[in-house]
Amino acid sequence: MTLQNFYDSIGESLDDVLNRLHKEERITKYLGLFLQDPSFNDLEKGFAENDIEKAFRAAHTLKGVASNLGFQKLSEASSALTEDLRPRAFTDNSKPLFSTVLNLYGNIVDNIRTLLA
Amino acid sequence: MDSSIRKKILIVDDVDLNRQLLAGLLEDYYDIIEAKDGNEALLILQEKTTDISLILLDMIMPGRDGMEVLKVMNENGWINEIPVVMISSETMPDIIRLAYKLGATDFISRPFDQVVVQTRVRNTILLYDKQRRLSELVAEQILEKTRNNSLLIAVLSHIVEFRNGESGMHILHINIITHLLLRTLIKKASQYEYLEKDIDIISTASTMHDIGKISIPDTILNKPGKFTPEEFNIMKQHAMNGALILDKVSFKKDEPLLKYAYEICRWHHERWDGRGYPDGLKGDEIPISAQVVSLADVYDALTSERCYKKAFPHKKAVDMIYNNECGSFNPILLECLRDVEDELPSEFNRFTWNHQVESDFSKIYEITSKDEEHPMYSQTFRQISYEHRKCNFFESLLDGIVFEYAYNPRMLKFRPDGAKKLGIPRIIADLDNAGKYPGFVNQENWEYIQKQFYSGSPDKTTFDIDADLTIDGKRTHCQISIQQIWNKTTDGKPIPVSAYGLARPKKGMEEK
Repeated sequence: MTLQNFYDSIGESLDDVLNRLHKEERITKYLGLFLQDPSFNDLEKGFAENDIEKAFRAAHTLKGVASNLGFQKLSEASSALTEDLRPRAFTDNSKPLFSTVLNLYGNIVDNIRTLLA
Repeated sequence: MDSSIRKKILIVDDVDLNRQLLAGLLEDYYDIIEAKDGNEALLILQEKTTDISLILLDMIMPGRDGMEVLKVMNENGWINEIPVVMISSETMPDIIRLAYKLGATDFISRPFDQVVVQTRVRNTILLYDKQRRLSELVAEQILEKTRNNSLLIAVLSHIVEFRNGESGMHILHINIITHLLLRTLIKKASQYEYLEKDIDIISTASTMHDIGKISIPDTILNKPGKFTPEEFNIMKQHAMNGALILDKVSFKKDEPLLKYAYEICRWHHERWDGRGYPDGLKGDEIPISAQVVSLADVYDALTSERCYKKAFPHKKAVDMIYNNECGSFNPILLECLRDVEDELPSEFNRFTWNHQVESDFSKIYEITSKDEEHPMYSQTFRQISYEHRKCNFFESLLDGIVFEYAYNPRMLKFRPDGAKKLGIPRIIADLDNAGKYPGFVNQENWEYIQKQFYSGSPDKTTFDIDADLTIDGKRTHCQISIQQIWNKTTDGKPIPVSAYGLARPKKGMEEK
């Protein structure tokens, strides 16, 4: 699997990322780091433990990290969740918004593992 | 970019991936320091304020967030020296506005773009660097200029003093008394409040009051005993001569220092009752600067020894002035003299020319650091000011006698409390005759101590010696700890330039 294949399979544009970060090996390195980034775990924990502050911050971080790596859809979904949580309270929308993030994140992580395998 | 002096950038972000992303975009050109939260960032800043050229600061972090880092940077004044570029995917206008208000220079939003990040960082650093260099230059020049000014004026005034066979203490004293009287005057009488900003200038100008004596022949100037009427007439010319000398200085005539020096030279022998010289001005016709210096001059003349008289004790001198035995003065000024009577002797002890430069310097520092439109970017400037205060504080805590030995010219300087304990002047310049102060140290001990100042080497700059000193009237066996400062002459030879010392009684041997 090439980096191009990877971005194609998650429905994002490698060109956009390449325009910003310039080097393919740099991007590959960050994809590896993305696997170790605790933001998503924190988000999950925030929901499980009803810890709104943790959930909000994790959603906010994930939004930034995702946008940096060109995961447009994940970034937008995290952004929607961030805004939902910004008043520091879980709403009826929180769970469904989290599910969207979960699905997108799962797909990306699976593909990164394949890419780096 | 010159790689030999790589600038340091501090990246503050709680997310490892974010730090790595930014570091990846910048590490080819800069040294990167990373901090994973606000607290760590502040600790690093505390250590390396001057080393860091730019901070990339995340807004949202657990613990101390970006806002708090900015607040602390404001409190410590660091914000004026280190540019902060905020990074965040935060788009809330309120937060961005607040960050700018707190002094953030710029903003980089996610997703990062190599060109944007590199350009913004480079431009910001260049801008700040230029400003920092300029401020440092200005600060150095101010210090240099202040020092040169005070030095030149001191030298000029001493020329006259020395010809007069006096020690140079007279002009020092005039300077101090003038300063003290003016400070009291502006508080006492509202019509003189406007003088406040000129107090330092008038005091400096006061040291030039007798420069006209340069035209008076030695035989008259140094004549012991009474002048003949003819001689007195010649002597009197010094006032007008001083004014004429200053008048010929080709400088703007409205230069305050020059204007005050002129007034002081010409009219410091006028009298409140109109019977003075050279112009016979009366009351408020005499400029206030000249009135004050006139009083200071008379007071110091009375309390000092001269070739034609002994020194009067302080109380006697003040009484004589009050009884109009030595002239006639503005009643408000006499009140001021009464008010400062108690402070005068201690002020004399505190003052040195170096001290004056330092105090001018810290005054300039205070003013510039409060100027919000033109904040001082120079860490050096602040550092000097802090170091002085720190040094004074620690010295004041030391149990013992602190002194400073200068090698060229040779001079021994004490703090006022130490000089008092030893019963000697604060500054001893004629070191070969320290035997003049037998209470302080005997000749044999003194020669031994002096010799020790020349022992040591650039490799061994600290050492202890034992010697007997007379402290509070008691012969005391002391340990004297010495720290030498060595420098190199132009041909590379190491020479000692100054030494700092602390003398402490040896335990159990105070009484001997």
